[in-house]
Order: sequence, then structure tokens, then C-alpha cells
Amino acid sequence: MNGPPAAVETEDLHKRYDRLTALGGVSLSIQSGEIFALLGPNGAGKTTWISIVCGLVRATSGRARVLGHDVVGDAIAARKLVGLVPQEVNFDPFFTPREVLAFQMGYYGQRPDAGRVDEVLRALDLSAKADTNTRALSGGMKRRLLIGKALVHRPRVVFLDEPTAGVDVALRRDLWSYVRELREQGTTIVLTTHYLEEAEALADRVAVIDHGKLVGLDTTAAMLARFGRKQIRLRFAAPVSGGAAGPVLPPWLVDLGAAVDASGCVVTCPLGAGSPAALLARLAAMDPPVADIDTEQPSLEQVFLALTGGGAGGAR
Amino acid sequence: MNAIGFRTLFIKETRRFLRVPGQTLAQPVVTTALYFLVFGYALGGRVREVDGVAYDRFIVPGLMLLGLSQNAFLNTSSSMFIAKLQGTIVDLLVAPLGVLDLLLAFILAAVLRGMLVGGVVWVISALFTGFDVSHPIWVLLFGFLVGATFGLVGLVVAIWSDKFEQLNIVPTFIITPLTFLGGVFYSAEMLPPPWSYVSRVNPVLYMVEGLRYGVVGSAGSSPWLGLVVTGGIGVLSLALAAWMLATGYKLRS
Repeated sequence: MNGPPAAVETEDLHKRYDRLTALGGVSLSIQSGEIFALLGPNGAGKTTWISIVCGLVRATSGRARVLGHDVVGDAIAARKLVGLVPQEVNFDPFFTPREVLAFQMGYYGQRPDAGRVDEVLRALDLSAKADTNTRALSGGMKRRLLIGKALVHRPRVVFLDEPTAGVDVALRRDLWSYVRELREQGTTIVLTTHYLEEAEALADRVAVIDHGKLVGLDTTAAMLARFGRKQIRLRFAAPVSGGAAGPVLPPWLVDLGAAVDASGCVVTCPLGAGSPAALLARLAAMDPPVADIDTEQPSLEQVFLALTGGGAGGAR
Repeated sequence: MNAIGFRTLFIKETRRFLRVPGQTLAQPVVTTALYFLVFGYALGGRVREVDGVAYDRFIVPGLMLLGLSQNAFLNTSSSMFIAKLQGTIVDLLVAPLGVLDLLLAFILAAVLRGMLVGGVVWVISALFTGFDVSHPIWVLLFGFLVGATFGLVGLVVAIWSDKFEQLNIVPTFIITPLTFLGGVFYSAEMLPPPWSYVSRVNPVLYMVEGLRYGVVGSAGSSPWLGLVVTGGIGVLSLALAAWMLATGYKLRS
């Protein structure tokens, strides 16, 4: 029996520009109501994938569907369901945020609704600037207006391509809670972000793309369990022994997978299956003594690095 | 068709030029009024009549067409090019707006601006030459067709252009020369051969003469010929613009 169509589905999506392969066969299926994060280094193909699904870029081959509607063969029906926050900030210098949002509703076949426009302006903290020319908005406000444009027509699927780049920390948190609220209302959210903590905080599932290929796809929790490591960072009062050859760790620490930095004072040790109490007891007996301890939770950064081999300049 | 989407885009395109009336309406009206004063009065003293029509009255339809065509062209070309430049074109490309919705909205806004400018030019000129119009339906028909055609040409040029320089090539090197050599200030019959024949291959001449027939009641060629020529160029431009929007030429990579 066929279930409801996936919110977004791509099959073997390819995009080539002359000699450059931007996407090399990406197949993904995103379920309705999910918050789905697409991660990858710069130039990995994330924006190309989103652009194909939103109809901005034509795929060289493969198919993309939004809630069962082919984005090429049934483009208008597919586009009705979608809202996009593009990566690049844009603004129309002739109009105010209130007008821009009302136009956006109209493009999607919805009659102007002042109440809805006010609601979005309020949610994005733009009410005070509602009747100011968009030219006069700050960079962060312009980005918020972009988010408003993507949401004002109540799309079933929202694509957020780097939605919080250049947005201050407080507002970023507000946007996260707004995204969660949208999900509770049944909206599917697909986001790309350079802030891995953002994906970690929001996403139900994560896909990692590198060089146009899908290199990882799972729930965020499973990704963290598989690739992330909980570890402790120890700072010693003096360099660990080793003499002229540089810092050398005791064999029992090496066996646990610990590593020491060049100063000899900072040791990072994964927390494996063994007893933390036993480890702490052995550390307490060490000379020089441990001066400070930090614990690090598994992070998407570790996942990202493990899957992309470093992904130069990719994410933070 | 997305009727609300089309209407929204039309309203937006209209509000865009009404928002800067000094630039979009007053400036072309002042320029054209100056042409009227300089040519109509300075030359009108020497060239008293052309084809039996007082010279100042003779040049009015050409001046209307000058304002109409330039402003219809500018409305679509500037809007589309700025949208490409600023990135707001994404709003239209992602929205469920079909080719017909986009074309109708852009064309009608261009026609409205062109006809507003052409109309104001006529009113100013009529203060000096009289308000009588021989064939108002022909005037409205040519006004609409010329506005739509130049609006479409503007859209095509803006989609094709990657730089401001390219955007200016067509109006500077094609439209303006064709318009000035299209019998705005003279009758093609006044030129000696071979220039009188050469001017007959200029399509703008038939647009000017069609409008002239509507305003003053006589022209060097039949308004039906003007209709065929204007309609032909309009259909070609329409086909090209529709193809560009449907295929995403220079819009969707």
C-alpha cells in the first residue's frame, strides 16, 4: 500500500555545469513534519539541491518531487507548496516590508491578509519597521524579511538556505523556536546551515553532502551515536613527562585513545565503555596533577569532520 | 492561470513606477514637451504644413509615440534587470506564477506607464494645437500595441542582459535611432530617394504613421499596414519573451 507522498523526494539528482559536477546523483526522501538539515562544506552541492527542488535550477538528470508533484512536470502545483529563504540577501528598494509580504501572499494566489502580514512581522520582530523602505533595514532585518517572505503564505515545505547567517545570537534563538513552532503546525523544514549547533538543536534528521554526493544520512541522534564521541579534556599543572623527546603519555592513557597537545599540558581522552570513576581515580594519582577537567559531548562537528574528512572551511 | 498572482504583480509593477513619478512620468513628459516647443515652434515657423497638416500638430503623434515607446520599454527592462541584479527575481521564479501571469502583468504595467506618458504628452501638446482627435479607437489601439510591443522588447533585453551596458545597447543603438528616423519630426515623403525608400523598411515609421492617422486623420501609409507591422513585431517579441520565461533562459541555470 502506498503511504502519503514524501514532503520532498529526489531521485538520482545530477547537475553538471560544463566540467563541474555540482550534484552527482543525490537521492533523498524527507517526510512531512520533519526538520531536516543538509550539511556539507562550501560548494558541496547543498544550495544546488535546494535550487533544483525550488525550480531555480534545472537538473541535468534525475527527478525531484514536492508532496508528490514533480518540480518540472507539475511545477506550478509544486511551487504552491514551497517557501524558500535564499542564501543571498535580496530586497526590493521600492517597497516596505508590509508591502513586500502582501505581494508575496498574492504571488501564491492568496488574497491580501493584513492580519497574517502583521502576524509574520511580529514573529520576526519587524513590526517597528513595517512601513519603512526595505533599503533602510539593517542586514539582519533584511534577512528576517527574507524569512517572512518564505513563510507568509503558509507553505507546507520551507527551505531555509543558511537562514541565520549574519543574524545575532538572540534572534537566532528566537528563529529556532519559531522553526520548532512551524514544525508543530505540520510544516516540513529543510535547512542548510554553517552553524552545526543549529542543526544539532533543530534537526530530526541530518544529511551530509560532500562533492555533490550524499555521504551520510540518519537521525541526528544516530549520527551522533555513530560518529560522535564523548570525551574529556584534561589540563595538567605541568607538561606530562617525556623529556627532550617531547610529551609522552603513560601507556594506559594511550590505550584509551588519549592524545596530548604540543604543550604537553592538555590531554584529550575519549570516554569509552569503561567506568568513569575508575578513570578519574587513575587520573587523580597522576604526577603532575590534573589542574582542570572539561567534558565534551558528541557533536555534529565530529560527525561532519568524520564524513567529509575536514571539509575545508565548511562549517563551524 | 494564477489570477491573484497576476493581479499582484501588475499592481506591484504599477506601484513601482508611480512611486517615483518625477523619474517615470514627469521627466519624459518634460523632455517630450521640450521637443514639442523646440521643433513645433522653431521648425513650425519654416515648415508650416506637412501633408496638409499644420507642422506643430503633425509632430504630436510622433512625440506621443516617443514617450510611449521609451517608457513602456523602460518599465519592463528596468524592473526585470533590477530584479536580476538585486536577486528579487527569485521571488517570481519560486512562486507559482506561470508564463502567462508574468507576461500579462509586465506588459500591462508597461502599457499603462507608456500610455500615461503618451497621454500627458498629448494633453500638453493639445493645449497648443487643439484637443480634437480624428480616430480615438485607432489611437487607443496603437497606444496599446506599441506599449505592449516595446514592453515586451524591454523584457527580452533585460532577461538577455548581464550588464547595464548591454541593457543600454538596444535603446541607444536601435530603438532611439529607429524612432527618430521613423518620421516623428518629418514625413518619409519629404526625404529624397533612396532615403525615402530606406525609411520605409523602418517598422517604427508605420507605428508613428498609424498613431498619426488616429490623431490627425491622415498619414503616409494605411493604419492597417501599421497594425500588421506593429502586430507582427509584437507577436515576435511575445514569442521570444514567452520562450525565455518558459525555458528559464538566463533566469534558471
